[in-house]
Parts: sequence; C-alpha cells; structure tokens
Amino acid sequence: MKPTISFVLQLSPATAYENLGDVARNLLDGLDVLLNSGLVKCSIFMDGPTIEMLRKKAKPLTFGKIKNGIREGILEFLGGGFYDPMLPLFPESVQSQQINNHRNLLNKCFDVEPQGYFNSSLVWEMGMTAVLERSGFDYALVSEAAIQDALGRSTPVSGWFTIEDKGAFMRLVPVADALSAAIENDSLDWRNIAAPYCRGGKSAVVVLNVPPQAAEIVGFFERLVDFVETNEIQTWPVGYAVNQLNSEGSLSYLISAGRKLGLPPTARSCRDMLIRRPEINLLQKSFLSLFRRAEDALEPKKFEAFCEKLLPSMSPMFFRDLCNEEGMQSLNVRQWGYRYLISAARELDDITDFSGLRMEVCDYLRLGRKLVSVENREFSGLLDYYAGGVLRSYCSKSSSVSLLNSWRDDGEPSVAFLDCLLPNMDLSPTKIELVLGGRECMLADPYDYQIYRADSGSEVRLLEEQGFTLGDKRGVFHVEKNFGFQTDSSEVKVTYNIGNSTYLESRCFFGTLFELGILGNSDGSGIFVDGKPVKWDKKTPFVYPEATTLDIRDYALNCVFHLKFKDPAYLFVGAVFGATASAAPEVFQGICVYPFWRTDLNVMTERSFAITMSVTKRGRS
Amino acid sequence: MRADLIDIRVEDHGDDVEISLSGSLGVFQFPAVCEKIEMLTSGPGVFFFLNLQRAHFKAKEYLDFFLEVLDRVRSQNSTLVLIFSNEEQKNYFARYRNIFEIYESREAYKNSGMAKQLNQIGIHYGKKTGLRVTPGVAIAGAVFIIGWAITLFLIIAAQGRDIADKQAQIIALQSQKDRYVREIDKLESSIGPLRKLGVVQDTSVLSSFGVIQDWVSYLEYLENTRREE
Repeated sequence: MKPTISFVLQLSPATAYENLGDVARNLLDGLDVLLNSGLVKCSIFMDGPTIEMLRKKAKPLTFGKIKNGIREGILEFLGGGFYDPMLPLFPESVQSQQINNHRNLLNKCFDVEPQGYFNSSLVWEMGMTAVLERSGFDYALVSEAAIQDALGRSTPVSGWFTIEDKGAFMRLVPVADALSAAIENDSLDWRNIAAPYCRGGKSAVVVLNVPPQAAEIVGFFERLVDFVETNEIQTWPVGYAVNQLNSEGSLSYLISAGRKLGLPPTARSCRDMLIRRPEINLLQKSFLSLFRRAEDALEPKKFEAFCEKLLPSMSPMFFRDLCNEEGMQSLNVRQWGYRYLISAARELDDITDFSGLRMEVCDYLRLGRKLVSVENREFSGLLDYYAGGVLRSYCSKSSSVSLLNSWRDDGEPSVAFLDCLLPNMDLSPTKIELVLGGRECMLADPYDYQIYRADSGSEVRLLEEQGFTLGDKRGVFHVEKNFGFQTDSSEVKVTYNIGNSTYLESRCFFGTLFELGILGNSDGSGIFVDGKPVKWDKKTPFVYPEATTLDIRDYALNCVFHLKFKDPAYLFVGAVFGATASAAPEVFQGICVYPFWRTDLNVMTERSFAITMSVTKRGRS
Repeated sequence: MRADLIDIRVEDHGDDVEISLSGSLGVFQFPAVCEKIEMLTSGPGVFFFLNLQRAHFKAKEYLDFFLEVLDRVRSQNSTLVLIFSNEEQKNYFARYRNIFEIYESREAYKNSGMAKQLNQIGIHYGKKTGLRVTPGVAIAGAVFIIGWAITLFLIIAAQGRDIADKQAQIIALQSQKDRYVREIDKLESSIGPLRKLGVVQDTSVLSSFGVIQDWVSYLEYLENTRREE
C-alpha cells in the first residue's frame, strides 16, 4: 500500500536570511519545479517578509501559476504570524495583528484564505485556541511529542484531534517528528518509520525545512519531487487530509515548548526561555513595557499603527537560545532585536510628545521585586537596586544601541556599575578576569532607594551596608551610591561614598564592573584611554594605569561609549567569551571594563569616587 | 522603606510633574506611599498631577494624607491636581471632591476654561518669579496698564490722522504745481515762434528779480539799466 504523506514545507523566518531577494528568486523557481511535476501535493508556510519579497521578484504569470496550483489542490498556503512569532509570549491584540497581517497578505497575493495555522517553532498553549478560532483557522499543527504527552502514550500519533478552551474549539494535527527527521536525513529506514503513522489510511504530516541558502533551494524541490516519484508516495496537503479523515479523539489539555529553540527536553513551555535567559526575558519585558505604555497613551487607531512598529521584534529569532546568527547567543541578533524596540520607543516619544524624565518603580522584569526604570529622549535604563544597585539595561536612543548586551554562559545578566572588591595583592590581568568572570567579591546586597528630584534631573540614592569577604577577612562597608540622571542627556553620573564602619583596616581595590555588548564587529581598535588609541587583540586582558577617560568607539554600531573618572583609575579591559556549538568558549560576546582604585580604608574613614557614563552617536561629543 | 506592592511612576516635564500610583493601597502600604509621595512632591514643579486611575484604595487613611499633601503643595505655591475618571475613585474622594481639583487627565485640566488658564499662568509666573499679588492689585494694575495702552493708542491714532491730512495737502499742492508748470510750458510753446521772429521780448529772465541774489547784483542791475536809459 502506498504511504500517504502530507508534506509541510517551511522556511526559516525571513530575518535569518542575509539576501532575501536571492532566496525569493530561487524559491519561485523551486515552486515552478513542484507545480510542473504535479506529483507532490503539499502545504507551505512562508512568513510575511518572504511573501512580500516573492511578490517583488516574481516574473509575469508566476503568481498566476501558483494561484492555479492552489485552485487545483496541489499547493496549500498555511497561515500564521506575519513574523512567525511564538504567540504565547505576547498580548492577544498583537497576536491577532500578526495573524491578520499574514492572512491579508496571503489574500492579496494568492486570493486565498488560509485554513491551517503553522508556527515554525511549533509552540502551543491553551490560550491560543480562542485566538486562532477568532482568526478563522480550522486546524493548527502541533508537535507530536506534545500530543503524546497529553495522551500519555509513546507510540506514533497521526490524524487529528480536537481541543476546547473557554468555549473555543480547534482541530490539532500532530507533526510526525520521527518521520520528518528520517526523511530530512535521507534515512533508508523511512518506510518502516512511516508505517505506524500511515496505518488505517491516515496521512502522516512531515515538516521539511527549505534550506536557507539560496543556491540549494531549487535542488531541494527537485529532490522532493524525485523522492515522491521514486517511492510512489501518495501526497495530500494537510487541509485535504483533515477534511478526509475522522477525528482521533479529544484532548483535555495541551502544552508544547516547541522545537529548535535551544530549550532542554525537560522544558514544558516556551516561557521556560524567559526564566532561563535573562537577555531574552529583558527583551520581552522591554517589548511589553512599550506595548503597555502605548496602550495607555494612544487612541485605538494610533495604537494599532504603533504596534506595527513592534511586530518585527516578535520574530522567533529573538527568543531562541541558539548561536550562529539563529538566536540570541549571537551579539548581532541581540543588537538587531533591540534596534527594532529602540526605534519603536523613539516613535512613541514622538507621538506622545514626550520630553523630560520618566522614572517608574515597578516589577519591570516580573521577578517579584521592584526595579527603577528611567527614561528620557536620549536613553532608557533599568536600575536594579535590589541586586547591588546595578544598571541592568541601558539603551541609547540616538544610536539605537543596547549597551549592556553581552552574553554570559552561566545565565547571569550582563550589568554595569556592579561593585567589586579585589584583594590588596599583585593581581595579573588574567587573574582579575577570572575573579570578575566568576562574579566573586561583589558588593551585591540589596539597597534601600530614595528618589530626589531637582531642576535638571533626578537622583536615585541608594544607601545600605554591604558585606564583603576578601580571603579570610570579612567586613562591612557603609555604601552610599547615587545615580544622577538628567532630563535631556544620556549621561549617568554615579557617585560613591564608602565608609568603613568596622574596627578593621580594609586595604583593597575597589572598582565597578561594566559588561558591554559592543565591538562585536571590530578588530579590537576603537578603544581610547585619555584620548590615545589603545590596540587590543580582543582576547588578552590588560590593565591601564592612571586613566581619567575611556572612549570605546564602535564604528559598526555607530556609537561611542564614554567613561570619565573624577580620580585617575586603574582600568582593566577584557573580553567576554561565550561557548560555541563545539562547547569551546571562543565566541566574542562583549567587552568587560573594570575601573578600580586602591582603597586604604582605615577604621571609620570614608572615600568617595565619581564616574560619569554616557553613550553618544559617533561624531557627537 | 520598600513599597513592594505598589508601582510608582514619575514623569518630570519641568513645571508639570505627573506622579502615577497603581496597585492595591492598603494599610500596610500606607507608610511607604506617604514616604514616596512626600519625597516626590518636595522637589521642583508647579503642577503636581497625581494619577490615581489604576490605584485601588483599601484604607481610609489615604484621604487625610492627600489633604496633607494638598496643604503642603499649596504652601510651596504649587498646585495639586488629582487625575482619575473611574467610579471607584470618585466614591473614595466624594467627601472632599470640592476641596481637591479632580480631572480626567492632564490635558483636561490644561483645557479647563479661560479663568483656569489665567490662574495657571498666574501660578506659573508666581512660582517662577516669586512675586505674588492679590486679585485687587492685579485688577488695578491691569486697568492701569490697559488704560495706558488705550491712551497711547488714541495719541498714535490722532497723530496718524494729522499726518494723513498733511499728506493730502502736500499731494494737492504738488498736483497744483504740476498743473501750473504744464500751463507755463503750454504758454511758452505758444509764444515760441513769435519770440524767434523777435516780435516778443522775453521778459521772464531779464525783468525779473529772480536772478538777483544779493545787493551787489542788484546795484549792478540798477546801474546797467540806468546806463541804458
């Protein structure tokens, strides 16, 4: 008996392509191969930007041929989000906006109303049922593992199931994971694997990834036609299979963490990503913050128009723990994601005519504790007074750069102004790098905060006793840390008053740590200490004595990071490295800057330091 | 003190300061809220807008506290405006609705009538310059300035009229002069051929005293005419 397979062809989100134009041109040729053969009936999913590019690159009559293929049932276009987002991570109104934008585009280009919903990450949460039903979908594709989990069985699952949530109803079609992998890897055993899926005349749904390299696309389609022809496979589009087959039963509850996200197999939901990776959580919360602010401030029509600006930042690329430009482990991808959000923030400032300084004390990161969010027309930042009074985020609006954007493999967030004491001994730069990388000897106890408003800006005063351990010695410093923010500048001035309130003399090096996600596309040039260039190989750490100013110029990101010290400081500069797929920590993830001072804190004495930090566009002082 | 269950937002627009409180405000949060609001309203600012739209009051203590804040803000020559539009807050503040200034939004306050806007300008300049005048003095001052301006205007208008008359006279005389010049030209042209024949002696130059500018010339002229005679 011929096996029946429903092929679903999917492309990686458009943003993953370097040259989408070439991809679109080859994709059109590939579809032409498919339509000419007439043997392979399949479903296909493309996100909005890819379809738009197809329309730009299509030759005359190409779209007519595709439309004809759709009418004849050879091709079925699946719906989804315009940027293929993982819907459960976002508010319902933008979920619907993504789906409707994609639906309208399909309707405009191919005169077709998509029947099925597809998401390349295959995430599912119960809340999606109502959204998809409202958007007019008949069925949705989900991962087989999730349905197996819901049914409590480990044998292959095919056909379709029903699910209900708060009165909404949806048909769910499992994707045959094992069979998809077998066919994709050209396994000779695929027919044996397909047998249990196709038992009883059922159709197995196989998802194949269209290669992202333009040159390989036409070959992929030719191989597919050849595979179907040689093996005498009966092919149905998924929609046809759903209409032909009877339901396999009902599911009471379904949750799927998705696939190809970099989550461990134990993860239950895509929300696990937010808990595991602080960078992804911060990006998502920055999105939500902008969304809520716009929702409060704008009329419905303006709000919807503004949300269009937010949609690109929902791309799954920004919510994956993957490297090689496929996920957030890549510095470029992180900067890319923030660029979308920062340009949306600038737009919102313009629409609401915002000028001045906004400070908000709220649970910004939804971690169960408050942070102080600070924003003016030049920058936005997040001050975590609970974790040692550190800056968790600093985005320069003028240069569209997120500064604290490095990536630590231990899952700790990258920060600025994290105070650290080094023991009073001769430390080599490599030793300092180890201490800082391991986040040892940090003054990271919670502070109490007070906000003082002044004419030119506001000041957040943090005041607390900070305990420390230096080797065998333990002690307590009384630390007053003031963050000064201005109404119309990106400058942050931090002043320290450190008092030794114990009866022990504490000689040490006091400094503060910055982990910056810049210089990713540089050869190490761009570091200037006291106006003089310092050549760096982006690997070996070094210490510069007696520095008063530090400029780091990132020519690719078009930004300059300035630090100015009231008293000359020793300056440590090192790199932050991340692991690659081969587990060697060799990927440049950012730059670590640690200015520090020798501190002879005798009993009951005080010392003060001041650091001014700012980020400007290149060329502006 | 940590206000862990409430969210506070401050938007500083120079003279306008909007403080938004959201969350459940019960007895436990009261000290924290008092501390934060007092801290935030003690800085610079002319108009303090306290946005309570998203706050849920669970204790009565806040009413008295807001009265205290109102007193304190007034003593700084500033204005406190409460911003909300929901029924929950209206009921909560019902007892003191005549004491507090309550508006639906900051814009609603800014656009709330001519008198209000004048008052806002008054408060603004009062705060900026430190000068305060009573309404009587302000009205007397305004009447004086307006009267002075009207007088000035009348003087200018009268002078303008005078200048216009003079200009009209100048224009009339000018046109009269032009007319005479034209007539003289016409007459001269009509006697031109006769003069060429020597029938008419041109007296316009000789017999006139127009060319004589001083006594010496006059005496020379007399001598010459007598000598000819």
